[in-house]
Amino acid sequence: MIEVKNIYKSFDGVPILKNISTVFEQGKTNLIIGKSGSGKTVLLKSILGLYEIDKGEIWYNKRNLVATPEKERKKMRREIGMVFQGGALFDSLSVQANVRFPLDMFTKMSAKEKQNRVEFCLEHVNIEPTKFHLHPSEISGGMQKRVAIARAISLNPKYLFCDEPNSGLDPETSTVIDKLIQSLTKEFQMTTIINTHDMNSVIEIGESVLFIAEGEVGWQGTNKEILQTQNEKLNDFIFANKLYAQMRREKS
Amino acid sequence: MKFFFHVGRYFKLLGRVFGRPEKHKMYLRQLFHEIDSLGVNSVWIVIIISVFIGGIMTIQFAYSMSNPIYPNTLVGLGTRDTLILEFSSTMLALIMAGKIGSNITSEIGTMRVTEQIDSLEIMGVNSASYLILPKIVAVVFIFPFLFIISVFFGLLGGLVTGPIAGVISIPDYIDGIQWLFYPYYVTFSLIKSVVFGFIVASVPAYYGYYVHGGALEVGSASTKAVVNTNILILLFDLILTRLLLT
Repeated sequence: MIEVKNIYKSFDGVPILKNISTVFEQGKTNLIIGKSGSGKTVLLKSILGLYEIDKGEIWYNKRNLVATPEKERKKMRREIGMVFQGGALFDSLSVQANVRFPLDMFTKMSAKEKQNRVEFCLEHVNIEPTKFHLHPSEISGGMQKRVAIARAISLNPKYLFCDEPNSGLDPETSTVIDKLIQSLTKEFQMTTIINTHDMNSVIEIGESVLFIAEGEVGWQGTNKEILQTQNEKLNDFIFANKLYAQMRREKS
Repeated sequence: MKFFFHVGRYFKLLGRVFGRPEKHKMYLRQLFHEIDSLGVNSVWIVIIISVFIGGIMTIQFAYSMSNPIYPNTLVGLGTRDTLILEFSSTMLALIMAGKIGSNITSEIGTMRVTEQIDSLEIMGVNSASYLILPKIVAVVFIFPFLFIISVFFGLLGGLVTGPIAGVISIPDYIDGIQWLFYPYYVTFSLIKSVVFGFIVASVPAYYGYYVHGGALEVGSASTKAVVNTNILILLFDLILTRLLLT
């Protein structure tokens, strides 16, 4: 579980996050949604510790990240898996070397154990063994995202962060990625936080949804509640897509 | 103020670069990779440039010393000392700043804009150290070898070109390159090579590491890196010459 308490963050005196408090539960896919520029990426990077917050607390179970010295933070980061918007795979390494990288860097596993773990992770994200030796530039965007997920789970993390994992993917591949993240979250009982503005993801896997508007918590609930909400800002965000306006009319 | 900001941030980055590696084996593997990609891959271009410059210098020295009062051996001596003192250390470093420096900035800059550096940081890897330290060690290690290769092939270029152009005979040239030889010149230039190697690797790495934006910014950072590396090489050339040679 990750809990954020009253966090504030500003850049050059401009407030970006204002008094954000929420809980991201273990074993659930927790989504952060909001318009571009609403502050959701800043929130995600603040929770990760990539940005120092101005005020507030960030609790990873019983450890407050804000009060943790850098050396300890490094250790904490080994419990975190991250899937970046563009995949962020290392161009110079093959698919399997990318997944093996955290194992090489942080474990004392034998070569055989590492290979088994790499194969386990890649098979979990449905990458065929024939693709293991290819480089990131030789595989599709959807496959790169799956390899990025495999790398993120290679150290068996307690926390999984995904920054817009569906960006640049077609709707069908997006659904595959969403379902994959959700199933891995359940299987490994991770605390998963996904940053997205894809409403399909919200409807499909949004077990807990946090809506950020102008740097503040605009709304919190589940995917089942979101289409019934009367929150004006959230409605503007959701029903910009006519499909969801139609769904709401049908439900009511 | 911007100058002091960059100087401060550069030294702060160096502080992180020389931090304790997470796993020595991984850094060592990276070091061999960098020696191969930055150093060994530069040997051919160094040989080609040195052969041509050695040949050109021999012809030019012969032309400017065509007066009968100058002994023919001065052509070999002039070629040798110019190669050792300036060309194979300083000029080569300026050329390598263009080749190796822009390569380092664009590689690290691209890793920055595609979030690969953030990815390393989130894993708990000291990205500055992992990415930059092997490059600095590789370039500092390889530069003295490139200097020696350059001197050798520069002299060889003169040896081949001089007689072909009919400006000097082989015995005169060989006498000249052995005449009044001070081994300290080689030591002096090897010291310069090590310093220039450090500049050629660390300054472009700094520009690449702090890129913000996209491909356009990476290109612009690469240009800035090469220009500033060249200025620093010339500045340190002046300082080292004053300190070590006069």
